[in-house]
Amino acid sequence: MKGPLFVAIILGAGLTGSAIAQDADTATLEKGRYLAAASDCAACHSVHGKPEYSGGVSFSLPMGKIYSTNITPDPEHGIGHYTEAQFSRAVREGIRRDGSTLYPAMPFPSYARMTDSDIHALFVYFRKGVPAASVPTPDNEIKWPLSMRWPLAVWRWVFAPTLHTAISRTAGEFTDPQLARGAYLVEGPAHCGACHSPRAITMQEKALTADSGSLYLSGGGVVDGWTPPSLRQENRTGLGRWREEDIVAFLKTGRAETGSVFGSMTSAVLHGTQKLKDEDLRSIAHYLKSLQAADQSQTPWTYDSTITDQLHKADLSLRGARVYIDRCAACHRTDGKGYPAVFPPLAGNPVVMQTDPVSLVHIVQAGATLPSMTAAPSSFTMPAFNHKLTDQQIADVVTFIRHAWGNNASAVSAEDVKQFSKSMPPSDMPDDTPALN
Amino acid sequence: MEPTLNAPRRRSVVKGLLGTTSFWLASGNARWSEALADEAAQPYRPIFFDIAEYQFLEAACERLFPADHNGPGAKTLGVAEFLDRQMQTPYARGENWYMSGPFEQGPANLGYQLPFVPKDLYRKGIAGVERYARQQYGKGFAALSALQQDEILTALEGGSVQLGDIPGRVFFEQLRTNTLEGAFADPLYGGNRGLGGWIMLGFPGARADFMDWVNQEGASYPIGPVSISGETA
Amino acid sequence: MVKHVDAIIVGAGWAGSIMAKELTEAGLSVVMLERGSERTTPVEGAYPESIDELRGAIRKRLFQNLSQSTVTIRNTIDQTALPYRQLAAFLPGEGVGGAGLHWSGVHFRVAPEDLRLRSAVIERYGEKFIPEGMNLQDYGVSYEELEPFFDKAEKVFGTSGEAYRVQGKIVGNGNVFSSDRSDNFPLPAMKDTFSASVFRDAAKNAGYHPYSLPAANASRQYTNTYGCQMGPCNFCGYCSGYDCYLYSKASPNVNILPVLRQEPRFSLIPNAHVLRVDLDSTKTKATGITYLDTKTRKEHSLSADLIILGAFQFNNVHLMLVSGIGKPYDPVSNTGTVGRNFVYQTITSSRVWLPPSTYTNQFVGAGGAGVAIDDFNSMNFDHGPLGFVGGSPVWVNQAGVKPIAAALGAGGGGTPRWGSAYKDSLVNTYKHSLGIDAHGSNMAYRDVYLDLDPTWKDAYGQPLLRMTFTWKDNDIRMNQYVVSKIEPIARAMGATKMNLVHLNAGQPFDTRTYQTTHLGGGAIMGDNPQTSALNRYLQSWDVSNVFVIGSNAFPQGMGYNPTGMVAALAYWAAHHIRTTYLKSPGPLVKA
Repeated sequence: MKGPLFVAIILGAGLTGSAIAQDADTATLEKGRYLAAASDCAACHSVHGKPEYSGGVSFSLPMGKIYSTNITPDPEHGIGHYTEAQFSRAVREGIRRDGSTLYPAMPFPSYARMTDSDIHALFVYFRKGVPAASVPTPDNEIKWPLSMRWPLAVWRWVFAPTLHTAISRTAGEFTDPQLARGAYLVEGPAHCGACHSPRAITMQEKALTADSGSLYLSGGGVVDGWTPPSLRQENRTGLGRWREEDIVAFLKTGRAETGSVFGSMTSAVLHGTQKLKDEDLRSIAHYLKSLQAADQSQTPWTYDSTITDQLHKADLSLRGARVYIDRCAACHRTDGKGYPAVFPPLAGNPVVMQTDPVSLVHIVQAGATLPSMTAAPSSFTMPAFNHKLTDQQIADVVTFIRHAWGNNASAVSAEDVKQFSKSMPPSDMPDDTPALN
Repeated sequence: MEPTLNAPRRRSVVKGLLGTTSFWLASGNARWSEALADEAAQPYRPIFFDIAEYQFLEAACERLFPADHNGPGAKTLGVAEFLDRQMQTPYARGENWYMSGPFEQGPANLGYQLPFVPKDLYRKGIAGVERYARQQYGKGFAALSALQQDEILTALEGGSVQLGDIPGRVFFEQLRTNTLEGAFADPLYGGNRGLGGWIMLGFPGARADFMDWVNQEGASYPIGPVSISGETA
Repeated sequence: MVKHVDAIIVGAGWAGSIMAKELTEAGLSVVMLERGSERTTPVEGAYPESIDELRGAIRKRLFQNLSQSTVTIRNTIDQTALPYRQLAAFLPGEGVGGAGLHWSGVHFRVAPEDLRLRSAVIERYGEKFIPEGMNLQDYGVSYEELEPFFDKAEKVFGTSGEAYRVQGKIVGNGNVFSSDRSDNFPLPAMKDTFSASVFRDAAKNAGYHPYSLPAANASRQYTNTYGCQMGPCNFCGYCSGYDCYLYSKASPNVNILPVLRQEPRFSLIPNAHVLRVDLDSTKTKATGITYLDTKTRKEHSLSADLIILGAFQFNNVHLMLVSGIGKPYDPVSNTGTVGRNFVYQTITSSRVWLPPSTYTNQFVGAGGAGVAIDDFNSMNFDHGPLGFVGGSPVWVNQAGVKPIAAALGAGGGGTPRWGSAYKDSLVNTYKHSLGIDAHGSNMAYRDVYLDLDPTWKDAYGQPLLRMTFTWKDNDIRMNQYVVSKIEPIARAMGATKMNLVHLNAGQPFDTRTYQTTHLGGGAIMGDNPQTSALNRYLQSWDVSNVFVIGSNAFPQGMGYNPTGMVAALAYWAAHHIRTTYLKSPGPLVKA
């Protein structure tokens, strides 16, 4: 796609009319490509090994399994027959070309905030920038009566913002242009709230924007075995101690001094945020830093070296200390500070102090791989310990790190660990190790 | 020879795989340490070696690495079991050795030039030592006194005994090497039971982290060993 | 139709990976071929499974599989060389990362006078000082010319060390014998283990000049010039023979390949055993290469404008010989160049026992860390009265002694090798002793060389490479002299006992015990096509679109570990390919 731009530059003043038009088209298409990354369309609509955006990603929801659709320009299986108006209605209002309602796994309540010009660019990109792929979408596996889509229309009517309210909110909410841009990206295309905001029993996000209350981005329910943490300013469990540059580094490279990406967020960074311009990432960070703590009661975390000193003196009397020193300290250190941004710190890490320990237990059980990113090509792996530690050992060591170094989260029992092992995400450790001899 | 006891089927399936990914999958245990403990809880039935060969190994390895005031000997550490398990690996089949002919013998410093892989060395070597023991003492090796056993091992080490087509010294070095491997390898492979070898040396095992203990000004490292599967001492 | 690329690189170790990075930066399409398998740290370095001595250093998981290809070895020209059937004396790597994945991490530059050793010896002692039969030669390149590339390599490797002199100013307690640097080490020196600190004090008190070994083990987490990250070394000791689980030992896999793998112009083909470089009928131009896919056993050919041989030292020489690049060396007439000046290093390890109340914790270690003295290395001392050429650094490089290795090595030399008395000495030695090495040079000799074996073949039907090598009087006397200097240091350390080990007169090279994998020469660089296979840019004098990168270019075995020099030579060659050769392909030096 750099070709035409390059041609345009070397032609200089001798540009023809059609070259200008082509240049403008290219710019729109590239803007659409960028927005598709910002909106992380690939996370849900692309499956590794299949044509890009040809759908088929499955979502296990309480009512059954649904599959994402083919959004390539293929006329039969994709969106080749959508007009721009129909495309816009689907993306921003959750209404398909046939008039039925999309499952709200598609974050149209967030996309509702997107501007007409951004939607236009997105449409141009999905029309001209993505190759058509004739891949049918698998049938959803939701049993009647939940398979009926009309109740979804009622849901949409009750909970989703109308285009008018969504867009009018975007305009003028923030006078600071950086905050406004951050709000637009976070609340709109990046749809952070889809995971990081709590949902009501009826599945709608309890708040869709910063101005609709402090529940917005205050931490969501479990997704694929991981509990999305608060992105607000809680000192211990939110981003209170993350600097803007930490947030930028995290979104750009999946790693920061304060922590590394894991779980479902890995794909969001890999396919989405790492492709954003630094300026946009700074806007996002600036905006997130403006969200006051939902939980105002947290005492500020300060480092406590009691455990560090004990471990240093080989005092392993505390439950979990021996497992920690045998299995964890090599990377995360006896002082819990890790080796940022290679091996993340556990001391003061908001994920470690989350009320719900499921993410922490799952990462110990299943391990995690931090993939190679464009701006940080090194990949790092935390091994899975589910075969190496008993439920009791995992409970002990997780409790240990939730109490050490100034952390103050609740204890975890072996019974909890046993329960969590049922929802353990698949280990992404390569398991094709040849025989050890 | 086949195991004579009615060992559980799982055991015979996984035996040769100990320490491999396939072992963990086939063992059916959720935790590696439990899979290993289950294995260790049952008497070991050798697969490669027959009973007499295995008895020779138990006796000879114990002389090479005897129980004493330093710590356990080869028998307690499970060295013979380690050897039998090793016989089922690519190592025993010489798969990483250059084994193309012709096989010409030359000066010792140019290295091993026999057409035999470790499995062959054991089969032929044990038979040869047993022949030698009967010739010299009228009994099989395992039935001899410790002193007599030591005499035979000394003779082998010294290079004065030929065991058929294998020089006694070659067999001795093979046996010594594998015995010491069995005493000090991770217990994953069947030896170093109870981490006894590592405790003897003060070796901390698979923790592999000395960031806080790089230089202790001559004091000993303060934490006991841990194995790959998580066994501690 | 044979696929064409701009450049083919043979071997995915340090030399190959550096060249691949440089050539893709220059805009070339590059295919890198590796005869071994793909290797990645999450698999090879998985924690704690990789902390497994039996699988690692003992069963030699990351090393060359000799069943496919090996060498034959003899000591003298009149002997029959016999196959090196079991890995022992030296341990070449195999698989992506090559020996760069399983090395220790000692990362030296070069002693400047080693680059012009023939000239330096003649200047100082006269031409007659050079023993009969020694092919003493200069590299044809100076330290000043290489300095920017040493600097570049250190910043890629994340090298830890303490400088002595930077841009003419003394900046720290580094090696006083080292030359001027354009910049500091990217990371501070590694800490001293207890053993190293005892040696440092004793050597200093004895009037020598101890310094921290430059280590490509990261003393703290580091992001290199390519954006690749390293973890910090925690002295776990699993360096040599292992893939570092902490990502803290520099390797092509950690320091270069992550960014190369993102490069669309680059592709890596593992399990590709290169059979030959294909030449045109004039034998002066390479047209491509032919390789065997070792999984499918099918042969493939690739064509390219530029061929880089970046395999292990002797594999580069082997490929040149089987491909017909250059004239094979003839030891009788001392003519021809390919196979000439095959060299090694003289390495002996002595042992010092401290009192039983003192624990040396030998399992604590890092492959590249330690304390050394250079007082008896290179031209740093007066050889005149001694009558030999060369020298040795002396050091305590506690790299992490594991129990099986300790047990196999214990006993001998008067102490029992088995039984209860053996156990006594093993336990005592493991807990309370430390090792001191003399890690010395090895000169080149007319009758020490490489050629093709007439009898034995590899698994692909090609003749094995034949090594003719033994220890010569000059090097034995050098080693003995340097080892004699260890004794007073050991006494000053408070030794209760010591075992000083040195080479003995008439002692032939023994293939059965590990010495070092620092093989060199065989296709050396120089300024005369009659005595070197490569010009000063590591370009073949005979086939100008073939460059041969590796320690094969060293005319002598030097006292320092070779990897830093190999890396600098790779960047040096790449620089001249990029700035000169690609603009006008052809010989960079007129023969």
